[in-house]
Amino acid sequence: MSLLAATDVVGGYARDEQILKGASIRVDPGEIVVIIGPNGAGKSTLLKAVAGLVTVQSGAIVFDGADVTRLDAMARARAGLAFVPQERNVFATMSVAENLSISAFLDPRAEAARVAELAGRYPLLTERRHALARTLSGGQRQILAMAMGLMAKPRLMLLDEPTAGLSPRAADELFAAIVDLNRAGLPMLMVEQHAIEALAIAARAYVMVAGKVSAEGPGPALADDPQIRRLFLGG
Amino acid sequence: MTPLAQAILNGLMTGALIAAPAVGFTTIFAVLRYPSFAIAAHATLGAFAAWYVNTRLGAGVPLSVAVGFLFAALVGGSLEHAALRGLRGAGALTVSIGSIALNLVLENAVRFSFGNDLRGYDLPLAPDLRFAGLRVGAQQIETLVFAAAIMAAVFIFLRYTRFGRAMRAVADNPDLARLKGVDPERIAVAALMLGAGLAGAGGVLIGLDTSIDPLTGFRVLLSVFAAAVLGGLGSIPGAVVGALALGVAEELALLVLPATYRTGVGFLAILLMLTFRPRGLLGERAV
Ligand SMILES: Nc1ncnc2c1ncn2[C@@H]1O[C@H](COP(=O)(O)OP(=O)(O)OP(=O)(O)O)[C@@H](O)[C@H]1O
Ligand SMILES: [Mg+2]
Repeated sequence: MSLLAATDVVGGYARDEQILKGASIRVDPGEIVVIIGPNGAGKSTLLKAVAGLVTVQSGAIVFDGADVTRLDAMARARAGLAFVPQERNVFATMSVAENLSISAFLDPRAEAARVAELAGRYPLLTERRHALARTLSGGQRQILAMAMGLMAKPRLMLLDEPTAGLSPRAADELFAAIVDLNRAGLPMLMVEQHAIEALAIAARAYVMVAGKVSAEGPGPALADDPQIRRLFLGG
Repeated sequence: MTPLAQAILNGLMTGALIAAPAVGFTTIFAVLRYPSFAIAAHATLGAFAAWYVNTRLGAGVPLSVAVGFLFAALVGGSLEHAALRGLRGAGALTVSIGSIALNLVLENAVRFSFGNDLRGYDLPLAPDLRFAGLRVGAQQIETLVFAAAIMAAVFIFLRYTRFGRAMRAVADNPDLARLKGVDPERIAVAALMLGAGLAGAGGVLIGLDTSIDPLTGFRVLLSVFAAAVLGGLGSIPGAVVGALALGVAEELALLVLPATYRTGVGFLAILLMLTFRPRGLLGERAV
């Protein structure tokens, strides 16, 4: 059974607006699933619909066997979905330590143990503990944003363009961190612009165009498809 | 030298009086994103509640300040929530105008209950203190200590408590806060209560300094607003610094200008800040 199944999702930001025009995707246990596609295709909107930040007009979102379509973002977070947005994904005016602490809001008793565990994985969380989040570099900020998602011990991580704006080296490091987390058992649904690198680590991938899925398949197979190469991968 | 030092000292004293309402105003702005002019009525409510327990029930100053805070928070804060929540979807301007209306209603409720007379708290008479040629009232010192204690309590609340941090998180980024399981609606109620309570406590301090009447809050509204703008709207340390700076600026202006121009200093401060440094004296920093 799929961990996450979004079926024929229609929705948008205003009541009658349809940015998503019947998008269907699924994530199976243990997978990294990647969504690629042109700007404005609705990739972020789809992740927000899964996270509960965009109202679904029709269609269904089933997470771990339960229909979460009508649950709000807080209830979905409690159910084990962690969404790391594309922009504004840390509390800029708060310190690194405070960002982590607030991310354990639903389960404060587990806070200390999780901070310790994450600090072992990502040393910068300790080194820059007192720094305001807005003073971090792009790569550091993304690590913090991911760590904030991990504070809730999620069962599925939703990542929206985690490498956007990063230097090639920082992007590689972040991809490595994502693969590590996945190997440790965390499934991921990830939107990425760095399509070649993302498809290389994806179990499966979707190409989204104009609010719908236009192609899907195993990551490497999509990366080899001549038409997709021409349209999205620059040749 | 002495008149200058005395003016600065007096300025810090007046600044301390408006610091608590200015922090209240800026807290509501930070979380709910509208300037609440009902802060004036909250200050008046607090001042009258404290006056009542002080003169009728014999409560001392610390208890009176606490009652002023609680009454303004519970009555003023929840009335503001109940009256204006329906307007929040319509944008900051609409809610802000609603807050002016609420202010008039609350102010007149106080007038209806207590009349327009000036009232003073029952305070033990104490001689002024003198040192190095400067003069300061014993009551002013006590007021200053209360103002400092209130600011310290707010700072500790926002910095070190779970709920205070959640409040800052919502002020910073409500969508992300929601994703982390913080309910912005609950935080909004808490921010209104905290903001109104701080205004109420400030109203009591103003009453301790002079006397109270239904316009007690309204008279300092411009200064409160100017202090919050000076500090950068939504910045709590900014509001404290803004209040002290404004108090000093007003007193210094009085050295060269007639007293009638005093409120002009507030207007001028708002104008200059919004023109040259719209993020406030301290720049963008929430706590
Ligand atoms: N908060 C919002 N309110 C209203 N419309 C929005 C909002 N965010 C995005 N849109 C619109 O929804 C459409 C899809 O945007 P979305 O962000 O989902 O695209 P995307 O595939 O993630 O693109 P990108 O690659 O640029 O991130 C666009 O037309 C965009 O203008
Ligand atoms: Mg996007």
